Amino acid sequence: MKVLPALSVCLLACTVRGFDADDFLERLDSTLTLSAFHDVLRARLSGTVDLEAYHFQQPAPGLIDSKIDNLFNPRLTLFLDAQAGPQIYFFAQSRLDRGFDPSARGAQVRLDEYALRFTPWDDRRFNLQIGKFATVVGNWVKRHLSWENPFINAPLVYENITPISDKAAPASPLDFVREFEPADKYQFNPVIWGPSYASGISISGRLDKFDYAAEMKNSALSSRPESWSLTEVGFDHPTFSGRLGFRPNEAWSFGVSASDGAYFRAEAESTLPRGRDIGDYRELVLGQDISFAWHHLQFWAEFYEARFEVPRVGNAGTFAYYLEAKYKFTPQLFGALRWNEQLFGDVPDGAGGHISWGRDLGRIDAALGYRFTPHTQLKLQYSFQQETTGQKDDNHLVAAQFTIRF
Amino acid sequence: MGYHLIFIITMRRLAGFTTVAALLPISVLAQATVEGRVGLAKSHPAPVVAQRYEIVTRGGVLSTQPPLAVVYLDGSFRKPSSQPTKQIAQRDLAFVPPLLPVQVGTRVEFPNLDDTYHSIFSYSPAKRFDLGRYRPEERPIPSEVFNIPGLVTLRCDIHEHMRGLILVLDTRYFVVTEADGRFRLSGLPFGRYTLKAWVDSKTTREQPVELKSGVTSHVDFP
Repeated sequence: MKVLPALSVCLLACTVRGFDADDFLERLDSTLTLSAFHDVLRARLSGTVDLEAYHFQQPAPGLIDSKIDNLFNPRLTLFLDAQAGPQIYFFAQSRLDRGFDPSARGAQVRLDEYALRFTPWDDRRFNLQIGKFATVVGNWVKRHLSWENPFINAPLVYENITPISDKAAPASPLDFVREFEPADKYQFNPVIWGPSYASGISISGRLDKFDYAAEMKNSALSSRPESWSLTEVGFDHPTFSGRLGFRPNEAWSFGVSASDGAYFRAEAESTLPRGRDIGDYRELVLGQDISFAWHHLQFWAEFYEARFEVPRVGNAGTFAYYLEAKYKFTPQLFGALRWNEQLFGDVPDGAGGHISWGRDLGRIDAALGYRFTPHTQLKLQYSFQQETTGQKDDNHLVAAQFTIRF
Repeated sequence: MGYHLIFIITMRRLAGFTTVAALLPISVLAQATVEGRVGLAKSHPAPVVAQRYEIVTRGGVLSTQPPLAVVYLDGSFRKPSSQPTKQIAQRDLAFVPPLLPVQVGTRVEFPNLDDTYHSIFSYSPAKRFDLGRYRPEERPIPSEVFNIPGLVTLRCDIHEHMRGLILVLDTRYFVVTEADGRFRLSGLPFGRYTLKAWVDSKTTREQPVELKSGVTSHVDFP
C-alpha cells in the first residue's frame, strides 16, 4: 500500500528536478551545436544515456548474454550530425557500453555508424551514401534507438537466435538441428542482427509517392556486429539489399524489401564441403512492411521470409513477423503492444525424412513509457515468450530503461 | 423635486457616456506610445537536422532564426470580449513565427505547411499538450487555448531540432522586436506602469515608465 504513494512522490520529484535539468540540457544542446562560414557548415553533437535493468529466466532470451537472471546494462551513445551546404551530410554514432547487445561483459567503446551522404538535387530524387550504417531493409530501423523505440528490446526477428551459424558449417543435418548450449549462443545468428550496421554504399530517393533504396554491404543481414566492420570482412562476397516504398499519404506507408548475400564468415571456410566456398551459401530475405500513424496512434508491422543455404543440409526456411502498436494516452504517457512470431520450416534429416530446424515460438511484448521532460524518459516492459513446438519452454522478461537525451 | 429629476437625468446621461466609453476601443482613449531598443540574446547557429535513418529527406539546410525579444506593458488589463485566433505554422521543418506573444485566453492554431507529418507537443508547466501526428490538410487545424501566463516551448516529436516559443501574457499591450532589437508599442493607456522586455527564458528586463497621452516615450533595455 505504501509503494504507490512512494512511487508517486518519486515521479513528482523526477518531474520537478527534470525541469531544472531540462534547462541545463537545452543550453548544452546550444553549446554542442557549432557553425562556420555563415551556417553553411554546421555540426551538432548529441547523445543518450541509457540505464537498463533486466530480469529474466535462463536461458537468457534473445541476444541477452548473461548467466545470471538480473542484468544492469548502462550505455552512453554519442551522435555527430554535420551538414555542409544542402548537398553534404555526415553522421556518426559511437557507444560506450557492455557490448552491442545487453551483456554481463566489461565496458567497450565502438564506432557503430559513420556515413557520408551526397544529395545532388533538392527534390530528393537521389541520395548517395557511403560508410557503415543501418540497413535499408524494413521499417524498424527508423525507431531502433532507445528514445524512439517504444520497447526496450527489438522485434523477435531481429534478435531470436536460430540454428544458423556464420562461424562453422554443420557436419550433418542432425548436427544442424541439434540443441545448442546457451553458453554457445553467440556462435549462432538471428535472421537479421539488430539494425545491421554493415559497411557499404547505398542509393536512395523519392519519386512522388514512391521511394527506393538499394545498398551493397560487406555482410549479410544475419551477420554479427563484428562482421560489420571493413577491417573484419571485406567485399569479397557482398550482400545486395533493397526496398521499394509506396506512401499514398502521410498516414500510410507500404514497403517491400529483399536481400541476398553470403552469410558465412571467413573462419567457416575450412568447415565447408570440399570444392565449395563462402559465396555458395547465401541468405535470401524477402520482407514486407506497413506502417500507419494518425494523431496519437502508431502502428507498424513487418513480415519476413528467409531462406538459408546450409551446407550438407539444403535450404532452411523460416517465416517471422510482428505487429506493433503505440498509443499516447497523455502528452507524457504512452503504451505499446507487440505480437511477434517465428515459424521454422522442415529440412531433410539425412535419413529420408524431414525435421523442423528450429522451435516455433511466439512472444508478446507490453510496454509503458513516461516522458518526464523532453530529455528524460522511463520505459517499463514485460515480455512473455513461449515455444509452440519442441520442448515448449517459456520465458518471462521484465525490463526497465531510463533514458536521458541531450 | 425638479433638482432631483435633473440629477437623475444627468446621472443617466453620465451612465450612458460611461457605457459608450467602455465600448470604445481603448486606443481611441489612450494614445501613449513607447519605443526603444532591447539588447537581444546571443545568436545561435542554425540547427542541424538529424536525418540518419531518413533515407529521403529535403536538403536539411535551415535558415538561422535571429534572436528576438517581446516588450510588454505589465499589468492586468481588461480582456477584449473576443480574441483573434493566432497561428504558428510548421514550414520547412521550422516554426513560423518562432516566437509568438499572446494574451491569456488566446487560441493558437498550428497549421502544417510541410509535405510531411508533424507532431507538436509541449511539456511546459504553462501548457502541456500533444497534438499527435497530423497531415498538412488536417481540418480543423489543430489548435490549443493558452489560459495560463508563462512561457510555452513547442517541439515536434518527429523533428527533434524544431523549437518554437509562445509567451502567454496577462497584458494585451505587447510587441515583438525587430531583428535589431528596436520596438514601438503604441495605443497604450496613460499612467505609471512597468515596461518589461522578455529576452529569453532566463532574462526579463524591466523599466518603470510614465505614459502620457499623445507623448512618445523612449525606453531602452541595454
